[in-house]
Amino acid sequence: MFFRKAGISHTRYQDERQLWPLPIDRYAVVAVLVLMIAAPFLVDRLYVVSYLLPLIIWSTAALGLNFLMGGAGQIHLGYGAVIGIGAYTSVHMMRAGVPLEISMIGGGVLAAMVGIVFGATALRVKGLYLAMATLAMQYIVDFVIIQFPSISGGTQASLSVPPVTFLGFAVEGDKAPYYVALFICAIVTLFMLNVRRTSLGRALAAVREKDYAASIIGVDPFRYKLLAFWVSSFIGGLMGSVLAVCFYRAISPDQFHLDLSIQLVAMVIVGGLGSVLGVYFGVALILFAPIVLNQLIGAISEQFGLSITNDLRAHLPLMLYGGLIMGFLLIEPLGLAKIYGNIRNYFLVWPFRHSRQ
Amino acid sequence: MSAQGSVKGWPVTDKGEPATLIGALASNAAEVPTRIGFREREYGIWREWNWVQVLDDVLALAAGFEMLGLTPGRALTVVGDNRATIYFSMLAANVLRAFSSPVFPDVPVSEFQMYVRFGAPDIALAEDQEQVDKLLDLREKTGHPATIVYDDPRGMAAYTQTGLIALSEVQARGRARLKAEPGLAADLVARAQPEDIAVLLYSSGTTGTPKGIPLRHRNVVGGIANAKAGGYFKEGERLFAYLPTAWVGDFVFTLGAGTILRSTINIPERQETALHDLREVAPTFYLAAPRAWDNMLTRVQVGIADSTPLKRRLYEYFIPRAIDLERRRLKGQPITMGDRINDWLGNILIYAPIKDYLGLSHAERAYTGGEAMGEDTFLFFRALGIKLKQFYGQTETCALSAAQVEGSVQINTVGRAMPGVEVRIDDSGEILIRSASVFEGYADNPEATAEALTPDGWLRTGDAGYLEPDGDLVVLGRVSELVQTAGGDRFIPNFIENRLKFSPYIRNVAIVGADRDHLTAIICIDYEATGYWAEQRSISYSSYADLSQRSEVLDLIAGEIVKVNELQPAPLRIRRIVNLHKDFDADDGEITRTRKLRRKVIEKNYAVLVNALYDGSSTVMFDATISYEDGRQGSLRRDLNIREV
Repeated sequence: MFFRKAGISHTRYQDERQLWPLPIDRYAVVAVLVLMIAAPFLVDRLYVVSYLLPLIIWSTAALGLNFLMGGAGQIHLGYGAVIGIGAYTSVHMMRAGVPLEISMIGGGVLAAMVGIVFGATALRVKGLYLAMATLAMQYIVDFVIIQFPSISGGTQASLSVPPVTFLGFAVEGDKAPYYVALFICAIVTLFMLNVRRTSLGRALAAVREKDYAASIIGVDPFRYKLLAFWVSSFIGGLMGSVLAVCFYRAISPDQFHLDLSIQLVAMVIVGGLGSVLGVYFGVALILFAPIVLNQLIGAISEQFGLSITNDLRAHLPLMLYGGLIMGFLLIEPLGLAKIYGNIRNYFLVWPFRHSRQ
Repeated sequence: MSAQGSVKGWPVTDKGEPATLIGALASNAAEVPTRIGFREREYGIWREWNWVQVLDDVLALAAGFEMLGLTPGRALTVVGDNRATIYFSMLAANVLRAFSSPVFPDVPVSEFQMYVRFGAPDIALAEDQEQVDKLLDLREKTGHPATIVYDDPRGMAAYTQTGLIALSEVQARGRARLKAEPGLAADLVARAQPEDIAVLLYSSGTTGTPKGIPLRHRNVVGGIANAKAGGYFKEGERLFAYLPTAWVGDFVFTLGAGTILRSTINIPERQETALHDLREVAPTFYLAAPRAWDNMLTRVQVGIADSTPLKRRLYEYFIPRAIDLERRRLKGQPITMGDRINDWLGNILIYAPIKDYLGLSHAERAYTGGEAMGEDTFLFFRALGIKLKQFYGQTETCALSAAQVEGSVQINTVGRAMPGVEVRIDDSGEILIRSASVFEGYADNPEATAEALTPDGWLRTGDAGYLEPDGDLVVLGRVSELVQTAGGDRFIPNFIENRLKFSPYIRNVAIVGADRDHLTAIICIDYEATGYWAEQRSISYSSYADLSQRSEVLDLIAGEIVKVNELQPAPLRIRRIVNLHKDFDADDGEITRTRKLRRKVIEKNYAVLVNALYDGSSTVMFDATISYEDGRQGSLRRDLNIREV
């Protein structure tokens, strides 16, 4: 109904492979980008700081994890630790006077280096065993950070981020951190959208589907699995640094525990493995569903004067939240991205059932 | 920009416009050099030629063809599907004052000889190996063509016969020659004259050997100028070149109008991908035969029948309303605010997506012609907002004689004469046409020419028709089928019958009325459609005969007759009808195997019935003879009801 395909023709193959061949998709992308850029001027700072900023940061981090899980088919239960490595590395570098830009990359590189050490186990173990190996990474990293005061800054301590600038702009107040995060998010998103069209993306897909079949057709699983861990961990480390600078401002070990890892995995799975757009949906659901449900139940109980016990009042949103995730995955095991795709297809072939030519 | 782009010196009309296709081509290259003239889909992407490149290619081909021996006044046989290079070659022939003679690609070898009779063609252009094979067979039989040029080299490597040459090679030789002779390009551009033959087409040949119809530049340019003056063609259209090159519609509407009116001619990759490519092109001007529009409607209906419930219901809600609205609009009845809102909503939800799916969302000018179009199809596309119109013309008039005008579109007319076209009905009811686009006579056939053209330049179309008071032309059929009532009103039974048969409930019908006071009809209902209609209304019936005599069914059929009567002049309205107890059957000799009515047999078999139709009785007892499939004869007595309309 909304999609128009008549009159779209190409004179070069490059044009045919563009990311958004339909004009309406391009308009939508531009509209979303403009809205995101204008958001700090349109909505209250509370919404920017406590809703949009986390959405952007967690989405970018989840994109990094999705690259590994959806792109290369390797499970990772220690992604929170990867982010932690990046956060601690970059904060220490900044405190030592290194500029933010270099600290970000430094955080990414160290996270990537540690990441591929554990990723190397993926060459020998798969599935549940890889999950255990990465879980081990989570605990080892947690342990190391807490046990070495030179890293954590001492027990119960938190490391605060010194005042920094990004590309010449001071990262302070509410707007600057938002734009830094948005900038990084845009770059990572573009990378993710395009990587699928490159030989790297296709090689990873081959490894994902069956690693020894990939090696038969000349794709070296050793190289590409390590590369997947490297890239994914680099993005995780980078986002650790963004998280520290733009969101937390002061980091402590408990921010990077197992629950963060699990939450990220949930975001990716609910959103849809391998989908870029799905990640945003997944993150939005995981982040906001508890808040919205909580307020909804609060409003309902007040409106109708229901006498809900405090216990139930606290737990009902969580139960509904769990039910929601299960519901979505029952309807469509391929995640929110697939649900969106189904709806899109419904309108794409309107008023017919299939695309027919 | 190349040197040729600035060349001038072609013949012009008294309005200063180019008077030949070649002049138009050269002026395009000079005045709109960067505008895209041709686009052809090749391996999924569109290859483009701007007008300078088109002219370059055409001149190179012309130089090359001249080296092969194509001389003025000779024909170049062209056979194949639509290809940019084939169009260029057709123009190249014109550059040399020769002309192309396109042949339908599906003509078998046995019939090919009929299409190489004029213009002494000794060079033939074939699209691919398949056509080359045909031409080689032809050469074995007749000794001609000596030279066969092929466009697609696939499969040609193993051919060792003499006189085979690739089109690219012809072009390369021509290009080399153009480089060696600096003045040649200017010379080539100026050669073609308005009096030269632009193309040699053939009549359909349903009544004997096809006649050669040479159309001159003058005819084509004049006809297109007429159509442009009437607003039927516009400059800068997006055209879709999918019609057979041997049909006048393709030469005039695509190549001719495209070149003269500086449009972009889009050529699909293959015939099989035409529907898909149509959507990519989204032409602004689209011409298709009624049958093609019918197929398109069927495609939509099949898709909807298979669609999801919500989409289907929306379609079923909006489309009948849109068709009803369009019907009222054409009749000039008032449109309410509610209609408008409904139409606006329907456009968003249903019409626009369907137009987009068909690739006709930009088709400002959509035409059909050649034969009668069913009202359902016509109204459906108009209801969608595609301003479909009928046009009327013969190959002899470059197919540009008359067309409907928005604002007075009626299903039964073919519209008004275009500006510059004179239409007259002679005493025998035949339509006569005089216009710049009318040809000068059949190739090498003075008798046929004398028959077709009057001394003062009128073309006898052979079609019977009449002019409505507002100047709209109604075409009835061939003059040879014309009969008269006792009152002297002329009509063609077949014409009325065809119109009645557009109703789903009428399968066959015979109109009686030659030398009678008024018209009557013997009707065979469509058992399936009428049976379904009856079931929907809980009308019980046991057989075809039983169903046909139900008064409700008679009412239904009478209603269909009334609809057709509205379009008929008063003396030619059908007054009395009878539903036959059986369908006309080829085994009984009432229709031919191709379902054409055998009027004589029917009038003899049903003489009792015909008499009853005229003597005023309300029922008739009829003894039907039945021939069984094993050859035995039986007889059956039936009471048939007669209904006044």
